[in-house]
Amino acid sequence: MDQLSAGCSGEHSGPQGVSRRTVVRVALAAGALGGVGALADGPLASIAGAPAPSAGAAPVGDVLVVISLRGGFDGLSAVVPAADPDYARHRPTVGIPAGHLLAGDDRFGLHPALESLHPFWRNGMLGAVHAVGQVNPSRSHFSAMAELHRAAPGSALRTGWIDRLLQLSASTSAFRATQVGDIGLLGSLSGPAPELVMSSVDDFTLSGAWNDTEYRRWSTALSAMHRRTPLTQVTPAHNALAAVATTTRLKAAGYTPAHGATYPSGDLGTSLRDLARLIKAGVGLRVGCVDHGDWDVHADMGTVASGRQRDQLVELARALAAFATDLGPLMSSVIVVTLSEFGRRVAENGSGGTDHGLGNAVLLLGGGVVGGRVHGRWPGLADRHLVDGDLAATTDYRVILREILTQRCLVANPQSIFPGLAGTALGVVRPRA
Amino acid sequence: MAVSRGAASTTSAAAATRHLLLRTTYGLTPELVRTVTPARRSAWLASQLRPASVPDPVADVVLRRLPRLALSTPTLRAQVKAGTLDSWDVMMDLCAATIARGLWSTRQLFEVMVELWSNHLNITCPSSEVWDNRHRYDADVIRRHALGRYRDLLYAAVVHPAMLSYLNNTSSTKQNPNENLGREVLELHTVGVDGGYTERDVKASALILTGLSTDWRTGAFVYRPGDHHVGRVSVMGFRHANSSADGRAVVSAYLGYLATHPATAQRVCRRLAVRFVGDDPPKALVDRLARTYVKGGTAIAPVLAQLFASPEFAASAGAKIRTPYESMLATVRALGIQPPTSGVTPLRELYWAISTVGQVPLGWPQPDGYPDVAAAWQSAGGTLARWNMNNNLANNWWPTGFRRPALTTFLPKPLPATYGALVDAVAVRLRQFGLSTPEREAICGFFGARPTTRLRTSSEILTWRLGQLIALLLDAPSHGRR
Repeated sequence: MDQLSAGCSGEHSGPQGVSRRTVVRVALAAGALGGVGALADGPLASIAGAPAPSAGAAPVGDVLVVISLRGGFDGLSAVVPAADPDYARHRPTVGIPAGHLLAGDDRFGLHPALESLHPFWRNGMLGAVHAVGQVNPSRSHFSAMAELHRAAPGSALRTGWIDRLLQLSASTSAFRATQVGDIGLLGSLSGPAPELVMSSVDDFTLSGAWNDTEYRRWSTALSAMHRRTPLTQVTPAHNALAAVATTTRLKAAGYTPAHGATYPSGDLGTSLRDLARLIKAGVGLRVGCVDHGDWDVHADMGTVASGRQRDQLVELARALAAFATDLGPLMSSVIVVTLSEFGRRVAENGSGGTDHGLGNAVLLLGGGVVGGRVHGRWPGLADRHLVDGDLAATTDYRVILREILTQRCLVANPQSIFPGLAGTALGVVRPRA
Repeated sequence: MAVSRGAASTTSAAAATRHLLLRTTYGLTPELVRTVTPARRSAWLASQLRPASVPDPVADVVLRRLPRLALSTPTLRAQVKAGTLDSWDVMMDLCAATIARGLWSTRQLFEVMVELWSNHLNITCPSSEVWDNRHRYDADVIRRHALGRYRDLLYAAVVHPAMLSYLNNTSSTKQNPNENLGREVLELHTVGVDGGYTERDVKASALILTGLSTDWRTGAFVYRPGDHHVGRVSVMGFRHANSSADGRAVVSAYLGYLATHPATAQRVCRRLAVRFVGDDPPKALVDRLARTYVKGGTAIAPVLAQLFASPEFAASAGAKIRTPYESMLATVRALGIQPPTSGVTPLRELYWAISTVGQVPLGWPQPDGYPDVAAAWQSAGGTLARWNMNNNLANNWWPTGFRRPALTTFLPKPLPATYGALVDAVAVRLRQFGLSTPEREAICGFFGARPTTRLRTSSEILTWRLGQLIALLLDAPSHGRR
């Protein structure tokens, strides 16, 4: 961890703050880089073992994978409050009948569509936190998503929380924060710290580089033409060339998931497969981000046996299970967290769907997770406990993230990431040994 | 001696003119360089500051193909209700129009300023809250006042239905004030986060703005006296009895006060200096501009005139990095790409092409607008996408459908004897300026040559690899600066 941490909140709010602080860090990064080859070489040589620490970095913790479930994930269908007597009353048609649930803990059961994840629940790698939300909730997707990613309610910060995390990192790897998928840059990554956004590993290629010879032709020329150029142009160019050198080699090598893992078709499986591939390649990935939607099911959720809700949960479960299976023992140093801008209304609506709500379930997957149980204080679904018809949020999602960052990702001082955050850790993870 | 001094000053006058054009346009074109000579530099700048005096034939033609931008909000609502339009259509029309004007308008400085204010007073486009009025905001607020007085621009922006909707003032009442707009007016639109206001000021700011709303049926502006907080207010030294249920007078007085506040003068002038001079512009320059801003009653054109005449501006050549969006527009302009013979389909494709480099016009998803400093645009993925788009555009792979000259028109006649001379000549014909030594060597190296290598008419660089040469010239870092 270097000392170029975020200062006062005002520093982030305008271009002036961006320029002053970042130029210093970019200069350091470029100095450590020393040329295109520094990042391009080596990654494939260190496949074995845990993810390779990036050059010059202090001990690294878990790789953090954040899955944004866009549109408002229905935590009440995924992690079902089976012991709450009001659940079935609120959801007479779209509720999941108790008899169909997979065993969760003494209060909750899991939607049967999560079957492929159930082994990880049973062996303690998968856990959940329920009744999670934001402190200044909004029922607007746009506002709630912006706030979810900013994660600094009541402050003037304009950056995303992962960007603020990266500002604390000494890693110079182009892959240190990588977003995979076709959606634009996620708000959590927005800010001065560089990140990598790719639609997929195999698509992250240089146009015109259709074989080795042409690849070398382009990459050599692009690198050479940036000699004697300002750092603000050299750094992104070198990072791009370093990243594309790696993806080009990964693409040529092909990829077969390990341990018989089978990813489902669709964007989530494809993106998680690529993140597993990058983690195994030891390219210095510290944070992986995937956005997966659309969970905004206002109508026709379907039943426990069929329909949109079930299909989406099946895909989510298969993708996560494949990821964990593929990484195998490496999961001891990987932690996956799912987040969504809000939960859904407790009572179903007249169209067999649910409207925008508040409290939600967060899923946690990884070797460090205290799994097999549902964390958090359950506020209950009796009418008097609801907030405007919504599940109350008893846990600020940032409390979970802060615990993960400090206990698993070895972030010593998370204050600049989540300024002014109160609350005590729930014990959702074990401290990293 | 006299001769060489004369030659040097001619060169520096040409360089100064090129510098001005690079900063005030979306990229050099042969026509700009031909018409804006050092002798005509002042007259050109003066006319750019009075854009209504500049004929704009090409942009006019394209804009006529986007007639829905002229729809009023109530008419647009009616058409969407009738099912003849989708609600996002006109927002996407505005994005296409913004690109078209950046590419082909002769009022280049005006377009640059429209972009600057659109960021300073950002309303994300497209976004669901403003589907019926974002195009009116562009026309009636930003474009109307872009080179007028900032206090008029600020007032028009804050009371516009688009801003009132975007920052939740439509649901702000004296009983339940929503502080979103009241806060952003201080933090973003005027004095800035370090401007010296307190949370009490923010609350008062929000109360002053209560009553500014929209008609939920037509979407038109409406004032709701019943929602307006009445009673004495004070914000950062602004005091008002605010005794009338119609609070429009206090809004006008408040915004006028904020527009002329010294912290606003600093903030607005610094933004101009960041756009036109440097990422961390000299404070002395900003101070001088701020004095002109206040003295001129927040008039924008005199501030710009002073900025472009300043030694700090003259000394800043090459110091700004193009944003990804600008970079794409500069590439399209360099390639001589012209509007399609009919319709705007290629423009809509170009919007998606631009999205790959990470910066669509008007698209910043937060109220603070796109940053305009190099440090904010360090994305490796965006850089790769820019190189790939240069290759796509140079070779006419995507988007297609524009009118454009054949690549061979960029070849000099007669052909030079060496690779180095050829690469230099094509660079100048394409981008209106030459290459650095590393760029020249690197590009010659791409073709397996050195700058001194003799050129043959059968060389690949002249035939099937010509598009690659053009792409490389657009990838060169010298094309990435403004």
